[in-house]
Amino acid sequence: MKQILHIGDNLNIDLDNEQWVCGKCDHNIGPASENVKYGLLVKERDPTEIHQPLISGEYNFAPNPDWIRILEFYCPQCGLQVETEYLPPGHPITNTTEIDLLSLKSRLASGELLLEAGHLKLNEGKA
Amino acid sequence: MSIPTLEEKMAALKVTPASPYERKCADALTRGAYEIAVQRTADILDEGYEIFMRSSRSSMGVAGDSIVAMFNASGDLVNASAGTYLHAIIPPIVIKYIIKNYSENPGIKDGDIFYTNDALYGGIHNPDQVAITPVFFDETLVGWTAALSHTTETGAKEPGGMPVSATSRFEEGMNLPPMKIGKNFRINNDIIELFRAFGIRAEANVTVDLKARCTTADRVRVRLVEMCKREGVDFVTGLFRRMLDQAETGARKRLLGWPDGTYRCVTFSDAAGNIRGLIRNCYMTLVKKGDGMVIDFTGTSPENLSSYNAHPQAVVGHLANYIYEYVFHDLPISSASFAPIDFIFPEASCLSPTPRAATSNAVMICTGAMSSVANCLSRARYGTVEWAQATASMGNGGNATVIAGVSQWDQPFADMIAYPINTEGQGGRSCCDGMDAYGFPWCAFGRAPDVEAIENEFPMIIPFSQHWPDSGGHGKYRGGCGTAQFWAVHHVPSLYFMAIADNSTVQTPQPIFGGYAPPTVPGITLRDTKVSKLLQEIEGGVLDFEGLVSGRYGELETEPFGRTTRAIEGDETVTIGLSTGGAGFGDPLERDIASIEQDLVAGLCTQWTAEHIYKVAWNAEHERIDFEKSELMRKEARLLRVSEGIPFAEFEKKWKTRKPPEEILNIYGTWPDAKPTGPAIRP
Repeated sequence: MKQILHIGDNLNIDLDNEQWVCGKCDHNIGPASENVKYGLLVKERDPTEIHQPLISGEYNFAPNPDWIRILEFYCPQCGLQVETEYLPPGHPITNTTEIDLLSLKSRLASGELLLEAGHLKLNEGKA
Repeated sequence: MSIPTLEEKMAALKVTPASPYERKCADALTRGAYEIAVQRTADILDEGYEIFMRSSRSSMGVAGDSIVAMFNASGDLVNASAGTYLHAIIPPIVIKYIIKNYSENPGIKDGDIFYTNDALYGGIHNPDQVAITPVFFDETLVGWTAALSHTTETGAKEPGGMPVSATSRFEEGMNLPPMKIGKNFRINNDIIELFRAFGIRAEANVTVDLKARCTTADRVRVRLVEMCKREGVDFVTGLFRRMLDQAETGARKRLLGWPDGTYRCVTFSDAAGNIRGLIRNCYMTLVKKGDGMVIDFTGTSPENLSSYNAHPQAVVGHLANYIYEYVFHDLPISSASFAPIDFIFPEASCLSPTPRAATSNAVMICTGAMSSVANCLSRARYGTVEWAQATASMGNGGNATVIAGVSQWDQPFADMIAYPINTEGQGGRSCCDGMDAYGFPWCAFGRAPDVEAIENEFPMIIPFSQHWPDSGGHGKYRGGCGTAQFWAVHHVPSLYFMAIADNSTVQTPQPIFGGYAPPTVPGITLRDTKVSKLLQEIEGGVLDFEGLVSGRYGELETEPFGRTTRAIEGDETVTIGLSTGGAGFGDPLERDIASIEQDLVAGLCTQWTAEHIYKVAWNAEHERIDFEKSELMRKEARLLRVSEGIPFAEFEKKWKTRKPPEEILNIYGTWPDAKPTGPAIRP
């Protein structure tokens, strides 16, 4: 049985193959040692498409599109929106999660951490 | 001068090692006696907290935006009752400063009262003030007590204690370094006069809150003396040491259960006081390894010539808000729980400015750190059995408004309206929506006053008070909605108004796992509208948010929510108070359709959002969603994402060539890495 770690809502790591996997369709997104976003599709959105301007004028309840853009990251297979990030245009895209796989696998192998229903649990007897 | 350095402040947060005597006392505690005594400390502190709220005068004190704490003889925080967790970790900096610098002169004696509100020496910002008393038994120093709260007047250049127009600390009113303000259990009269002089705008708030702090700290001192009398000094000494040990052990165990890794979040805001411009208000890199972690703020924008800067320990205090609410919620409130956490602050950044910086709006610039820590820790914890406690960030708007003048009771006042700050929406949770109008991200247990209480206290009428629809970030689990209130001047010819906020152009919180951030928050007033006439003329005499934004009540004037002090005439709009919603959690297309229907019926979600974001077919006449049609709409939306999405490498290549307009990078620092472009010069 595959060792699957839930690392986000509908985002998993296949620990045996060290791959990011979509939690909705099981699509193999890419190596878990790399930024998960490398394996996702990106769409840039004008923030007024997401936050309805309720009134006219510069300050209208929606972020100013000249200042900030919304990047949406999708699973290439099923279209699940895995991540979003609000960034000024051209700002470096953030690698939000880098799991130390070597440490994780070593701690699982030693029994210090247990994997229960896709979530890690500290084995206090071995910690 | 002996202003503590960054290194000294960070060192003071670490627990002083146990002496052989303390270790012996701790080892002598018996099972059962220890647990009962821990509860006694909590009961003593809860009594103090109740006294504090009942004896405070300013809105924040009455709302419970306070903390009461006890410390061991070395100044390490052993337990507290809150209120706000802002001060759950950092008061040891001040007590250790007093021990180091004042033991000889002016000396530390039974009955002394110490006091400070200067963030340069270890606090949050100067409205946050602390009274500290040493606890002596049989002439031996056995501990310390402290009572901390926020008073909304400091005699600064603007009323309310948080002047948005301040450019240096010299414009922020009263800044007292740690000092002895009383002896033999009495406050010196000259000190009370000092507070009166700085507090002319709201003398009752300032002097009553001063006395409330001293009264509270003393009550906890009295109870600890009683405990020493009953149980002995050895027992109390051992109790405190073991409580510190257990807090640190509990924190380390919590961290050990998470996967090692590096977690990052970057956040932005749109203003520093009156200066409009993009700021990278937090670049957080959180490295978790074993039973410890390092939180690095390198990459955060430089300090600026406004009051939107925070000294480093104030940033730590802001992290404690989220960490104690969600991560260490079952641990005692203790500085020892932060022992496994180290910090890196870049010099001359807005989160570690030079000494002359204005910092009275530290709470504003720290919204980035508050949002980032929620994001990073939720990512670190989602892979563990703690996953159900992972959340999106709160809105962290802190859209605080101050009014000042002479009230309908003919009393001078300068105070912050506690309702909007205490009704923000919670971030979406990993198994349900964020709570609507959950509270104040800076003070989990603060209370929002009733409309009638506000109208009784201040010369205002509030024609509507309601949830703000769509104010929570969209998501599988949406952020909780914030609130909207309409404020108009009533009973008096005029009052003064100012507001502390950013997020009118760019919102700070990043969402999580595919959700969206909350909307931005404009400053809105009704132009040239007499509110009493409006209420007479409007059908049914009932106003609401939807009617306001649709223009039914008159022409709207909009501007940034943060505004410097201005006069508002009687019967005119003060502003529309807007309390931010929380950020969203997860893909909105995964949201339960029945929940969207409930939100639409309850007025928490608009038809536009239901159709454009959640992709559901809403029949407004029958107030029902067509589930079958909605599923088809969602399927199409997912297919569209796959067809329109661009592979990352291809997207990034073009994305990297872009840059925001030069005119908005005036306070950002260098692009894109936000390094200082020169020194911040303040005369």
